[in-house]
Amino acid sequence: MDKSYIQKLLKCIKDIMAENRDYLIELDSVVGDGDLGLTMSDGFAAAYTAAETFEDSDIGKLLYTSGKAMSTAVPSTMGTLMASGLMNAGKVLKGKTQISDAEVAQIFSAYMDGVINRGKAKVGDKTFLDGINPAVEALNASVEQGEPLAAGAKKAAAAAETGYKNTNTLLAIHGRAATRGEASRTLLDPGAAVAMLIMKAFENSIE
Amino acid sequence: MKKIINNPENYVKEMLEGIYIAHPDLVTYTADDVHCLIAAKKVEGKVGIATGGGSGHLPLFLGYVGEGMLDACSVGDVFQSPSAEQMHAVTKAIDSGAGVLYIYGNYNGDIFNFDMAAEMADFEDDIKVLSVVAGDDVASAGPSAPGEKSTRRGVAGIFFVYKCAGSAAANMMSLDEVKRVAEKASANVRTMGVALTPCIVPRVGKPGFSIADNEMEIGMGIHGETGIRHGKLESADQITDEMLEKIISDVPYTAGDEVDVLINGLGATTLDEQYIVTRRVSKNLADKGIKVHHFYVGEYATSLEMAGMSISMLKLDDELKALMEKPANTPFFKQI
Repeated sequence: MDKSYIQKLLKCIKDIMAENRDYLIELDSVVGDGDLGLTMSDGFAAAYTAAETFEDSDIGKLLYTSGKAMSTAVPSTMGTLMASGLMNAGKVLKGKTQISDAEVAQIFSAYMDGVINRGKAKVGDKTFLDGINPAVEALNASVEQGEPLAAGAKKAAAAAETGYKNTNTLLAIHGRAATRGEASRTLLDPGAAVAMLIMKAFENSIE
Repeated sequence: MKKIINNPENYVKEMLEGIYIAHPDLVTYTADDVHCLIAAKKVEGKVGIATGGGSGHLPLFLGYVGEGMLDACSVGDVFQSPSAEQMHAVTKAIDSGAGVLYIYGNYNGDIFNFDMAAEMADFEDDIKVLSVVAGDDVASAGPSAPGEKSTRRGVAGIFFVYKCAGSAAANMMSLDEVKRVAEKASANVRTMGVALTPCIVPRVGKPGFSIADNEMEIGMGIHGETGIRHGKLESADQITDEMLEKIISDVPYTAGDEVDVLINGLGATTLDEQYIVTRRVSKNLADKGIKVHHFYVGEYATSLEMAGMSISMLKLDDELKALMEKPANTPFFKQI
């Protein structure tokens, strides 16, 4: 796959964030300041615009540039974390103009690593990671078994959704939700919802 | 909301335009972006010091860019971090080969963006960047365990960190040395605040919280973060003694120690009140045998139109004392 696939993937993410803008606002209004729907739809729109107009065929540079565009558009905490994911995926794939299925999977693990490096959260802290981590594990396992990418994407999207739905069993450690202490436990995490939407967009991009 | 403004959407941009008009000899901007403020004069071979943060706190953060203190400040929207790209732009503008030190307050949005900017500067431009995160507000969290990341917020005391690090850089010390000085100043500064009224973010138009007419909140943060004690408003002397107790027990101090003290107004508290507090601080510290080397009194770090004030103390040694005494010339801080 070449850069046109990455452009398509970013378009699918942009579209799903726009469709779920109000859903994310509603979720975030419970635990945060309610702007997550805006930052995610604006941020991934900026990332896609940068990717769409990107001239070079280097997939890594394309991802890095999209991430930078996102960080400039939405310098909020979650905006910067998502931008860091794209930029790290860009660093890992720098110099590649064609990528294999395994390298597509690598985009998501590098994305997750970028978010971890920036935010210093761990799996189980009731964050984005609790949605993305099971998805990355499912995708890697599927690719290793030699399944078609579409099958891996489907499993990854399902795993992210399960991960998100399980966040209402976790105690918040970071951000404004953490100030609620034990009362935060039964709430769903909006960051993990973003992970679920990214993986659903990935599934859409392969179909 | 009762403010002398135009369209709230243009609040920060128009404030910045005024800054450049009033202080053309000291500050300018780079990257065609008024949010990317840099010192008008670049000193070749000197370590560059950059800060940044949300608007609404003038003189913080941009007010200390000039001669003898900071070299750049990226400016965000009210109470919002500037972007990593803006921080990256000023980093490129102020680097003269000796590297750049970031000094900023301990807030997640700022940390994420400064870390990203440092990576951009390293990855794209080979500029060496180090960071010192200031967290001086004793009300915001307990002291951190050794090796553990502090969760204390950065407030007015960052002024002392700027001054010490700025003087060190002006002395042409290396990047590692300027960082060491900034860390030392940061480790020796503590702040405690009190709020009497809330503040209003222009684009929001109404206060995000309320404090009753006859009440105060000891330890409230500069964005209205919850403090440590909410109660009836007390006398200046009582409030001052309570705040000093928290600061002094945190360091701790012993008789004979020497300090610089910053009495800071949060926006709507008069200088008269600040000097009434200054009087009590002096007496309280004299009773404990703590010697005040210098008082700084006025608005150094505000929170829009919040009424209230903070006290910051920097525990001095010979090195920090000498650095604090060096001259500086910035839009909001001048010392001969």
